[in-house]
Amino acid sequence: MKKVAGLILNVDGEDDSLKDFLQHRSLSTLPFGGRYRLIDFTLSNMVNSGLSHIGVIGSHKYSSLVDHLGTGKEWSLSRKTQDLSILSGSNNYHIGRLIKVSLRNLQNNRGFLDATGAEHVLIATPNLVTTFDFRNAYDIHLKNDSDITLVFKKDDPLYHLRDNDLYLEFTKNRVSGLHYKREQTTGHFFTEMFFVKKSILVDLLDLSERTGDWDLMDIIKHNIDTLQVFGAQHSGYIKRVNCLENYMKTSMDLLDYKVMHELFMGKNSIHTKIKDNHPTLYNDPAQVCNSIVGSGCIIDGTINHSIIFRDTQMNVGSHIQNSIIMQRCEIGRNVNLNYVVMDKDTKISDHTTLVGKPHAPIVLKKGTVI
Amino acid sequence: MNTECVAMLLAGGQGSRLGSLTFNNAKPAVLFGGKYRIIDFPLSNCMNSDIDVVGVLTQYRPYILNNYIGDGSAWALDQVQGGVHILPPYMGQKGGRWYSGTADAIYQNLDFIDRFDPEYVLILSGDHIYKMDYSKMLAFHKEKEADLTIAVMDVPWEDAHRFGIVNTDEEHCIKEFQEKPEHPKSNKASMGIYIFTWKDLKKALLDDAGNRESEHDFGHNVIPMLHESGKRIYAYPYSGYWRDVGTVQSYYDANMDLLDTNCDFDLSDRNFRVFSNNTSRHPQFIGSQAKISNGLICDGCIIFGKVENSILSHDVVIHKKTSLKNVIVHTGAIIEDGAILENCIVGARARIKGDARYITDPADTAPEIHVINN
Repeated sequence: MKKVAGLILNVDGEDDSLKDFLQHRSLSTLPFGGRYRLIDFTLSNMVNSGLSHIGVIGSHKYSSLVDHLGTGKEWSLSRKTQDLSILSGSNNYHIGRLIKVSLRNLQNNRGFLDATGAEHVLIATPNLVTTFDFRNAYDIHLKNDSDITLVFKKDDPLYHLRDNDLYLEFTKNRVSGLHYKREQTTGHFFTEMFFVKKSILVDLLDLSERTGDWDLMDIIKHNIDTLQVFGAQHSGYIKRVNCLENYMKTSMDLLDYKVMHELFMGKNSIHTKIKDNHPTLYNDPAQVCNSIVGSGCIIDGTINHSIIFRDTQMNVGSHIQNSIIMQRCEIGRNVNLNYVVMDKDTKISDHTTLVGKPHAPIVLKKGTVI
Repeated sequence: MNTECVAMLLAGGQGSRLGSLTFNNAKPAVLFGGKYRIIDFPLSNCMNSDIDVVGVLTQYRPYILNNYIGDGSAWALDQVQGGVHILPPYMGQKGGRWYSGTADAIYQNLDFIDRFDPEYVLILSGDHIYKMDYSKMLAFHKEKEADLTIAVMDVPWEDAHRFGIVNTDEEHCIKEFQEKPEHPKSNKASMGIYIFTWKDLKKALLDDAGNRESEHDFGHNVIPMLHESGKRIYAYPYSGYWRDVGTVQSYYDANMDLLDTNCDFDLSDRNFRVFSNNTSRHPQFIGSQAKISNGLICDGCIIFGKVENSILSHDVVIHKKTSLKNVIVHTGAIIEDGAILENCIVGARARIKGDARYITDPADTAPEIHVINN
């Protein structure tokens, strides 16, 4: 993996339903799973697979990303031999449609690509919840002398594929066609993680410079006959968070011990920014089951089927179920919450009841006081 | 280089009265309150007191301790000049030897302290659970123009015979020392925290090193010698939570204080934080059959059973149909299906079989605390 540089894209602007969470942050730093940010998965997977030069493309809402990643120490990326670069992003919108992998973003960061000395680039989106060892995919990439190796997964109705998601068509083991969902489905979809030879990427960048077509996946699709494209299968758990509904569902998946075990208790762990919190204190009246709880909380209430982030305080007589409570929230006495997603630093005063719906939870913006 | 005050933390003790908790581990590195280690308290105090040069004197089983301290960044002690320094015994031109007493440990590191050319030296030990702003004690030391200041606190009269007791005048000047006296004249107990004016300490250590009769101990030798020679020794009165955790029972009781809402020792106080060297772990997973009441629980735990009035360190797994009451579980221990534990301490990475029964008589108000390791 020494010859591979990692590049994590910015994917803001795909869906409006998460906009309340994305006023001050990009999707990559959306809090997830009690203590993580979405980008922790892709970044940790790259580090755990042995990559040592990783660039993360930011959005214009930088501060949350910079604050979270810092020097990359928690991912072992602040060593003399390993590094993390935070790269500048450009607007993801093309007139009238969304580009999945924008070469304009890569063009802006040619310096990063040139400086790494890598022969291959591993490109992935930051909103995938999965643990994946890229080494097998890299072996396939090298063995076939591929120009591009796409990580794919068997069709999954729970994945929430959209019209502009891509399906792979194989001839023997070579990818002979790429189809948007609106055109054709094949049973194997693209997971938005792929290896590309740097020389090919540079050629494609030069091509797009001339033609003005910045959509990398579109270019690959149209040149599938001349490019050597192969596939590497992902057979484990993977979910993509790109709307409120699947943020909720993917979060609640963690309450299934099998999913929790695969994501967090395998041989490779998901790293995240470390905070100094005291252990979580459950006082006498607390009753907690079927939940994930971060450290630094003080809990006096009843919690069921919920995800509670670090430093949350919850007072006597309150009940939380089917909800996600992000960092540093304060919940008063005799509060009832069901299907509620509270962003960071939200306060709820005594005797408040909020009940959302499974498909439309109530969302409280960061810093709300009710 | 000039530093006003250098802290020297005595962390070489074996802590044999903690039994199997210190078989593989120095006492200052014993886990406390779930995620902490005892040494977190003095190191965090240093950080909260703006003391940024700390020498840690190690000797007994230092690996876990050294590894835990690392570069000191967990306590903001990773500054370029100064920071934390681990000081094991070493070889010199004339050979080397183990630290033979608390004063000898400092004596062997005179060169280290001189490098920082301090006015004052703060002597700490890694045996106590407390929060203290040493800068206030230093201000007191300067105000009194003392040669030595000893932190003291009032202990219950009936316990005074277990401590080193000082008798002072109204100005807090120490007139008399009594070491574990049968008939204490006061209830002011030494907390084992000293601030010396460095030139006085240096001279005293050189004198003490030349004394063949001496055991090279601060409490027994150096401080009485300074007292006899008429040095200005003051008692800095401290009031607040302070516990010696030298025995299994006192260690257990101090841990359980953290679950007591009436106890004034607050780990969540943002104005005086206790830091520790954290690693990344997943959040707690609490299964649908789990029941938790009154617990202090760390990241990485997986709980399917019943946990009552207990403290769980990192990565503890509690299987279903288990019951834990008044238990302290150290890192990585696994409690298998059906085990019932009461009033005990489970050592790090122990695996407790499902047929384990550690049950105490409910009528017994002070049951003996077992330490389970396997």
